[in-house]
Amino acid sequence: MGEGLIMKRNSNAFLKEEYDELVKKNFNWKLRILETGSTPHSVVDGKEVIMLCSNNYLNLSNHPRLIQSAINAAKKFGAGSGSVRAIAGTMKLHMEVEEKLAKFKGIESSLIYQTGFAANAGLIPQLVGKEDVIISDELNHGSIIDGVRLTKADRAVYKHRDMGELENILKDADKKYNRILVITDGVFSMDGDIAPMDKIVEISREYGAMTYVDDAHGEGVIGPDGRGIGAHFGIEGKIDVEMGTFSKAYGVVGGLIAGSQDLVNFAYNKSRTWLLSGSHPPSVAGAQLAAIDVLETEPEHVKKLWDNTKYFKKELNSMGFDTGESETPITPVIVGESSKAKELSNRLYDEGIFALPIVFPMVAKDKARIRTMMNAGLTKEDLDFTLERFEKLGKKLGII
Amino acid sequence: MISKIGFIVNPVAGMGGKVGLKGTDGVLKQAIQLGARPIASDKAVETIKGFISNYSTKDKMQWFTCSGKMGGNELKKAGINKMEIVYTPTSKDTSYLDTKNACKKLLEKHVDLILFCGGDGTARDIFEIVSTKLPILGIPSGVKMHSGIFGINTSASAKMLYEFVNNRLTIGDVEIMDLDEEQYRKGNWNIKLFGIAKGIVEPTYVQVGKTTYESVSDDEIKDELTEHILDEIEQNCDFLFLFGSGGTIDYVARKLGIQNTLLGIDAVYNKKVVGSDLNEENILRLLEKYPKTKVILSPIGAQGFILGRGNLQLSPIVIRKIGLDNIIVISTPSKLASTPVIRVDTSDIKLDNEFAEKEFMMIVIGYRLSRVVKIQTNNF
Repeated sequence: MGEGLIMKRNSNAFLKEEYDELVKKNFNWKLRILETGSTPHSVVDGKEVIMLCSNNYLNLSNHPRLIQSAINAAKKFGAGSGSVRAIAGTMKLHMEVEEKLAKFKGIESSLIYQTGFAANAGLIPQLVGKEDVIISDELNHGSIIDGVRLTKADRAVYKHRDMGELENILKDADKKYNRILVITDGVFSMDGDIAPMDKIVEISREYGAMTYVDDAHGEGVIGPDGRGIGAHFGIEGKIDVEMGTFSKAYGVVGGLIAGSQDLVNFAYNKSRTWLLSGSHPPSVAGAQLAAIDVLETEPEHVKKLWDNTKYFKKELNSMGFDTGESETPITPVIVGESSKAKELSNRLYDEGIFALPIVFPMVAKDKARIRTMMNAGLTKEDLDFTLERFEKLGKKLGII
Repeated sequence: MISKIGFIVNPVAGMGGKVGLKGTDGVLKQAIQLGARPIASDKAVETIKGFISNYSTKDKMQWFTCSGKMGGNELKKAGINKMEIVYTPTSKDTSYLDTKNACKKLLEKHVDLILFCGGDGTARDIFEIVSTKLPILGIPSGVKMHSGIFGINTSASAKMLYEFVNNRLTIGDVEIMDLDEEQYRKGNWNIKLFGIAKGIVEPTYVQVGKTTYESVSDDEIKDELTEHILDEIEQNCDFLFLFGSGGTIDYVARKLGIQNTLLGIDAVYNKKVVGSDLNEENILRLLEKYPKTKVILSPIGAQGFILGRGNLQLSPIVIRKIGLDNIIVISTPSKLASTPVIRVDTSDIKLDNEFAEKEFMMIVIGYRLSRVVKIQTNNF
């Protein structure tokens, strides 16, 4: 600061103050550093662990065909795309991914966003506005909530997966609003349960409401060969917006929507996140293309994921662990009090297993848990090793 | 940190219930003659025992209470011997004056919370002394328990105490309600809203990161509700708005710059007050002048009543004139957490049935944010 100048206010003191406050409450993120790729056996903060926190369900991020395709695309088209999609950043490769994805999912058309968050935050506010209403499951993911906050529409919340409440809201909304959008997670990320999408579509259609599903944890996981929630319920093309991600089971990065050609035309002309962010580098698009190809031609990955999931759940249950209502490779191990979940997570890490605790207020006070996410790359030996540690620590901590 | 808990038992609370009296205020002798037995002591012991055995945080507590059957005996029976006696009743037959005097002593000791065992009458006595200086938590033991400060049973009160001691619950507004004795003497059984006390409530959380949540204060939520109501008023500028009673509506009205009656009904047109603390007759007169009217209500008391408790001015005739579709119900999520249904008791069976046929109501819980809640009427 120059001599003689009087400082009006400490312009950036809040940065440190607010961070210090987070640290004091133990709410700050302590970043865990991977020294390997996101592999079934990863090195996290210098320690080799079995990875149960990654969303890389099918272990495709390490698949040779994806890696090779990324390399080929980078060599052929360069490291970056040079622009936003709308100006000069749409490459033939991007179009190929969208075409292949729509075909794979059995839906008319699709559009790739930079991330899943960008899809929700960009599209939701365009679908509804003033005099419209969004009806949302109470446990929807934060990115939906943010997308919803950007709209001028009214919002109504229904109890988790409660179709009676949804219908009651629709009855009321039908009289008051112009457009109605029903929005839900496909696979719920904390409990691993699945939204009853067939019923949601049926009820919503009765009241002339649009349906939007965030299938981030279902894409590549549920439905035949991982085709997602529409295929899982046999209602391909009936959900107005099937939103998903390339960042989880597909093993790459990026968000996606699938639906009618009208939806896609509307979405890329209106979504500000899509219009104002650079497009994916060719290597990303190359890997995305290969990921779809692998799902189409190598069904063993999805099968292995489910075999692992079923075995892991069955064994945990037979030991006496409560795994809640999970129907998917997200298996919560419910332990009760928050302190117990933290303790179990720490001890598992010491034993070579990386699984994070989910505590109140993310889940109910007596439902603190370890959230495990299965990986197709884990062997039976890995699972037995993990289960044996869970059993030992579960007994020691009085959980089972 | 050590929590300083003030503990009061009203030994005669609840004695009127089994013998068909609406409380024990002034009718204790009659209750005893009719065969009433004390129940508060057992309820108090049950709660404290439950608290100690399930929640093992007794080391974090410092107890302040009254001698004998006003708390000291109950703490000892529950296994707590370390306590400070702050008040000794003058006679063996205790009365509301003893409750009030004990509260004065507890205020002097700067306790963090008053835990009491009693009913609506006891709550009212405590509130008259403590006002909003301290949070109050009730162990239900009375005949009437309409006030919002009671746990639904003894184990719920024990759990709330534990959560409070461990900083997991926050302090919020709760209603103190009791029988309107003046009306009761005239043969009418009316529950009146006496005031808004501080109670302990479930905080509201919002997700700020993928796995991080922050608690939002009730005032922040009420600010959102204010924004919502402001939109309603601006979008319906030809409507008269009746502001109901209770803490949430009072907060909203005051934020809008409206001089509101906390315990009564006020009328607002074009953001200006056109009637204060209205009775049924005044409201009907206003409805003649302003045929388009909306009424803003909020659940009152422990059972979630929006009509029929604490706002009898909103009579069946008034409600019919306004129309069921013109009722706006607002609530903080923490309040809804303790009142999972909305209750209506208009004393008019036909009107109650109209509410019952609706089955549910949309309750505004934030700015442009609502939640569906079941309606329950006494006719169910």
